[in-house]
Amino acid sequence: MRINFRLNGETITTEIEDSMRALDLLREDLGLTGTKEGCGEGECGACTIIVDGNAVNSCLMLAAELDGTSVETIEGLTGSDGKMHPVQRSFIDKGAVQCGFCIPGMIMSAKSLLDKNDSPSKEEIEAALEGNLCRCTGYVRIIEAVEDAASIIREDRK
Amino acid sequence: MTFKLMIPNTEGELQQELMDDEARILAGGTDLMVQMRSGKVAPTRVVSIKKLERLKEISDLGERIRIGAAVTYSELQRSHILQEKSPILLKAIRQIGSLQIRNRGTAVGNIANASPAGDAVLAMVLSEARVEIMGPKGERHESIESFIIGPGRTTLSTGEYIRAVVIEKTDDWQSLFIKVGQRNAMCISVASIGVLRKGKEVRLAFGSVAPVVVRAHKAERFFTREGIDGTKLGEFVERCVESISPIDDVRASSWYRRQVVRGELMKIFGHPDVGGTDVT
Repeated sequence: MRINFRLNGETITTEIEDSMRALDLLREDLGLTGTKEGCGEGECGACTIIVDGNAVNSCLMLAAELDGTSVETIEGLTGSDGKMHPVQRSFIDKGAVQCGFCIPGMIMSAKSLLDKNDSPSKEEIEAALEGNLCRCTGYVRIIEAVEDAASIIREDRK
Repeated sequence: MTFKLMIPNTEGELQQELMDDEARILAGGTDLMVQMRSGKVAPTRVVSIKKLERLKEISDLGERIRIGAAVTYSELQRSHILQEKSPILLKAIRQIGSLQIRNRGTAVGNIANASPAGDAVLAMVLSEARVEIMGPKGERHESIESFIIGPGRTTLSTGEYIRAVVIEKTDDWQSLFIKVGQRNAMCISVASIGVLRKGKEVRLAFGSVAPVVVRAHKAERFFTREGIDGTKLGEFVERCVESISPIDDVRASSWYRRQVVRGELMKIFGHPDVGGTDVT
């Protein structure tokens, strides 16, 4: 089956197997290994990508379902000039990263939230990240990083 | 996990595809993908409903609301009709999975999956939902309570699919949804309790404590007839507990589940300070 979709701003046309998952298309066929596979059943959020503005688990989507959509992965966040997205910058500055495995998914969930709401409350941040598990940090710094990113984004918009 | 994927453009084509016994419908995929990966189900054909625009509609039918088979939980949460007219469904949806799951999963999928722990199913049971089924013999309607017959089992036969679910508006009822689980996000409940109350009328449903989500019809009639003052409260709670038949499983024991239901009901209906008005 042939599919067409936007991936991090570029148009992709590719041939896929019917039963291939979106996650495997990204990692195996397209070499975008920033998106991680944790549990493979939608529990951990390590595979989170943004499809048409919404955070989803790419392990629970078929590649075929990406046809006609606009997809963002962690690889698309850093601009061609090498400038990091505020969420990435804040995760580093606030020490939100330990082992790092959950971070691409965590960042995509945070970006999806901040794209819709640049002044989220702590509760809204927690709700947006509730589908992302981190076994290292205890979440406190992750939430602080998202708050920090939100303030940078608000500042940039002024 | 190897199958042929079909993406019909019309409901007629969908029906054709479903004449194959081995076909399974893919809506949000949040249950089916997991079941296929684990080998629990191994369909030879998977039929995606993503191109069927009519299945994505939420419509206001006056006293009732119709929710198409492809409507996601997140779309329901954003819907003004649901926000205004079905607080109980929104309270239940808020407890489902995570944002990522709610962005893909569908309420009708929750019905088709027929899990005794279905949170949206529980709210729809309380909302006297009717399931709209299309099949080779035409359209039929069935109450959600008779449609779901066991864990993972419904009355759907070959060629049939759920086109929509129609729920009652319940904004004039006080509503409460309680999910007792081991953590907040992504949790399958140990027990869940939903209550709708309007004066002397009450509706009660329980999840994860029987082979299907159950309504406590006998206890509801007792409530209306006898009330819950004094010793009546204990009698009422026991009638509720009679309606459940919990099992021991990895999440909790049968004994614990009964105690949870009993304890929560006493809290909801018997709290001395609120005199049973803690249903908001």
